[in-house]
Amino acid sequence: MKNISHNFIPFTLLAFVTLFTVISCKRDLDDLEPATFPTTAEVFIDGFAAGLNYGAFGGSKVTAFDVDTEIKYKGTASMKFAVPDAGDPQGAYAGGAYFTSTGRDLTGYDALTFWAKASKAATIDVVGFGNDFGESRFLTVLRDVKVNTNWQKYIIPIPDASKLTQEKGMFFYSEGPENGLGYTFWIDEVTFERLGTLAHPRAAILDGQDQVFVVETGQTLSIGGTKATFNLPTGVDQSVDAAPSYFNFTSSNPSVASVSSAGVVTIVDAGSAVITATLGDQDAAGSMTVTSTGQAVGPQAPAPAPTASADSVISMFSNAYNNVPIDTWNTGWQFSTAELLEIQIAGDDVKRYRNLNFVGIEFASQTINASAMTHFHLDIWTPDATALPAAFKVLLVDFGANSTFGGGDDSSHELTFTSPLLQTGQWVGIDVPLSNFTGLTNRAHLAQLVLSGDLPNVYVDNVYFYKSGAVTTTGPTVAAPTPTRSPADVISIFSDAYTNVAGTDFNPNWGQATVVSQVPIAGNNTLLYSGLNYQGTQLGSNLDASGMTHLHLDVWTNNSSSLNVFLISPGPVETPFALAVPTSGWASVDIPLSSFSPVDLANIIQFKFEGNGDIYLDNIYFYKPGSGGTVPTTAAPTPTFNAANVISIFSDAYTNVAGTDLNPNWGQATVVTQEAIAGNNTLVYTGLNYQGIQLGSNQNVSGMTHLHLDFWTANSTALNVFLISPGPIETPYTLTVPTTGWTSLDIPLSAFAPVDLTNVIQFKFEGNGNVYLDNILFHN
Amino acid sequence: MKLNNLLFTATTISFALFFLYTSCQDDDNAIVKRNWQLVWEDDFNGNAGQSPDATKWAYDIGTGDNGWGTQELQYYTDKPGNVSLDGGGNLAITARSESFGGSGFTSARIKTQGLFDQAYGRFEARLKMPWGPGIWPAFWMLGSNINEVPWPQCGEIDIMEYRGQQPNLIHGSVHGPGYSGGNAITKSFGFENDRFDVDFHLFAIEWGKDYIDYYVDDQLYQRITPDKVTGEWVYDHPFFIILNVAVGGNFVGFPTPQTPFPQTMLVDYVKVYKEAN
Repeated sequence: MKNISHNFIPFTLLAFVTLFTVISCKRDLDDLEPATFPTTAEVFIDGFAAGLNYGAFGGSKVTAFDVDTEIKYKGTASMKFAVPDAGDPQGAYAGGAYFTSTGRDLTGYDALTFWAKASKAATIDVVGFGNDFGESRFLTVLRDVKVNTNWQKYIIPIPDASKLTQEKGMFFYSEGPENGLGYTFWIDEVTFERLGTLAHPRAAILDGQDQVFVVETGQTLSIGGTKATFNLPTGVDQSVDAAPSYFNFTSSNPSVASVSSAGVVTIVDAGSAVITATLGDQDAAGSMTVTSTGQAVGPQAPAPAPTASADSVISMFSNAYNNVPIDTWNTGWQFSTAELLEIQIAGDDVKRYRNLNFVGIEFASQTINASAMTHFHLDIWTPDATALPAAFKVLLVDFGANSTFGGGDDSSHELTFTSPLLQTGQWVGIDVPLSNFTGLTNRAHLAQLVLSGDLPNVYVDNVYFYKSGAVTTTGPTVAAPTPTRSPADVISIFSDAYTNVAGTDFNPNWGQATVVSQVPIAGNNTLLYSGLNYQGTQLGSNLDASGMTHLHLDVWTNNSSSLNVFLISPGPVETPFALAVPTSGWASVDIPLSSFSPVDLANIIQFKFEGNGDIYLDNIYFYKPGSGGTVPTTAAPTPTFNAANVISIFSDAYTNVAGTDLNPNWGQATVVTQEAIAGNNTLVYTGLNYQGIQLGSNQNVSGMTHLHLDFWTANSTALNVFLISPGPIETPYTLTVPTTGWTSLDIPLSAFAPVDLTNVIQFKFEGNGNVYLDNILFHN
Repeated sequence: MKLNNLLFTATTISFALFFLYTSCQDDDNAIVKRNWQLVWEDDFNGNAGQSPDATKWAYDIGTGDNGWGTQELQYYTDKPGNVSLDGGGNLAITARSESFGGSGFTSARIKTQGLFDQAYGRFEARLKMPWGPGIWPAFWMLGSNINEVPWPQCGEIDIMEYRGQQPNLIHGSVHGPGYSGGNAITKSFGFENDRFDVDFHLFAIEWGKDYIDYYVDDQLYQRITPDKVTGEWVYDHPFFIILNVAVGGNFVGFPTPQTPFPQTMLVDYVKVYKEAN
């Protein structure tokens, strides 16, 4: 057999001549050299290639990987992977990734190859490369890799090597027990190669299908099913999952739908567009056709905040209350065409139903006992015509003492609502005595709510049962946190801790309905807006805040569903900033002043708040970063959650989950210590790259609503926190850094979907800098 | 066909270089310059879907005897779906996975039998291979006396055979009395970093009274002479040309569920030369 690689010689010479010519005429422009990355091919031959690191996946058996000098394909050593039996307490599977800290230039290769054998015939779930424990933009996955007791060579084609100019993810694997039983497999001679014998490249998006989606402006869709197929030197085709970033996406109509380099399609207007892709110079099979109906017609403002006292309410869905568990807001019953979209309107969560003919809402696994309640309430908004005979119907179903459907003890009743109660384009409160549901003979085991009627588009909010009686609003019982910033760095408007701007009018008459008062809360003077619609503040003198960086304020409300704060300069030029409401306790908010652009920061004359509910405000001041050090001098605020409602991981204030490893060895560079800050034990990450926390036991936090944590950093510019359930399934949440003082954050656990909240096993922090953490806990 | 000429030139240049490096390493590579005169050709120019020139090509139809003697699985047809011009200057012979005439696959086999034959000379075809396990294309010749003198006595010269599961490898062989089937005189030629199914390559023999030289892209890789065959030298009478794509059979094995269908062998041209004085 002859090798015709000599063919390359004339072309190489030609290329060199061309290159020389180009360089010689560009030389006087600049002498910049492009950054170059090593082109090292080897990953594991008889040991780790230089600069190669290993990290086990969360939830895996971290000791599954070892280097074996007894069994090897070639040389002196191979990689051995001991897949655990099902139920192994040290981990459910074997999995991890090999990565370099400096990227490699892999553009000269066309495949990652390796040899493998196993202690028995088995199918390895996934192997691949491109997992860098970060973005993994060029993740390449070969699934269902069959191995047996003979060494065989495996080839993972590189979907488009020209993209891999600085790749860090060299190899990864993940394999669980086979039929519950563990076994061992070996991998050797892992290296990138230029085979030259991979042929007939093909590519696909959406698994090669032409899919059509009816969408609305603002919706985003991710293009999945991105695959690359090559014919191997054995004549058979092999497909790999190629991350979307390998592809170049094109929208036929960017004014209707734009598409990012990561394959995320964003609908920007009404019309049609077709998204297609190329991989290298191959057109990918499959396409996404989007037909946009344009901007959805929906409410601009949230539904009025409920006023019923929380202790006389059983709430199914409202931001104003703690809600009981609901199995589903769309059972998908046969013949139901209803689609459910979870949306937010000015920060308020709303259920939106589209194509509604009828929809089942079910809470059979934890039925509702509304025996002590007197009324049922829900708010609806529809863009559809509501003139008679259009109707909207509400059906309540009680499953009776056996708490299951049927059995002869069920009861139900449906009420029909029509105009003039129903109105188009405005929130309508349906508020009816439960006694009106005459057929509903029991309400101790309510299990279903069914909405139906002639309105295909219905927005739903504030669904709750309540007991009519005095409506009370309770205020905060503790004072807002005392500010810690140096007075030299602060211009204060309203705070007991500083000298405030003189002459300010906190209740100018701008025609508002709001009642303004100042009330002492735990001895601290606090500004109270009752029944807010809008409310101004007239500063005592024009204020130059151009030397400041942030506006700080502390806010407390348990019944507002909408709250904006405005800065105003002459003109008037005013810009709103939306505050998250209702709060859970005092919320300390630090708003970068850039958020208020184009307000003239050198000439601020007024504040304004708009929204609803009852609002407590304190410590309204501008500030700039102080000359303060890089270490917190005050302890994190002590949390005040009822211990019965808390699962604590790290806090002096609660009993923490036993056996938690705050510094598991996941290959990280982070230095972990615990330091006493003002007498309070605090978790310190120094030189963070990433850092795990291995919980002492799997935690079911599905009964919790939020993850709380306090963090402080002077120098971090990137910080994410992840929850992790087995799989591993992990979802990041971005923390705003650097902080100005301690940031207390309550993250809705829904932000971590699709992590299994019934089985949380680990935390992970990723980012940089030095980070102080405290009071890491779940609460409801 | 300008592009092809360019490619051909580039290949020639590169092989000139190749010989600079390797001519002293292998006697098989010794160049014998001969003065070839074109006597027969088909460059397959014409409209897409058109059948090959009936004055030059005949068909084998059906499944032969026991899958053409080697348990092949295809039914050979003369349908344009199996054999026709591609409109781009090539003949396409296409194997399809479809039930026809009791077989699970269709394909085509064309021959110059009764239309053209020749003893001695240069026989060449520029081909791009199909691929996939169980695909077996061939460019070969049989002795024109096959109806009087049964195979293997009539002689068989396989200029190029290829297995779809080894797309970087081709084989050149002779079958004759005492050395046929699995005992044929054969040699393989392979690429380390390339394949025969991604570009066209030129396959040729140069045949004289006492030698048959095998070439890929004008590189000599095998010379078969009477002393190398383990039986009678029967290459002294006219042979006719065959082009086909078989599916399955003793030589190649069965196609697998992973074999992509349809599979096409493209033939840019076939040319036959005689040696001038």
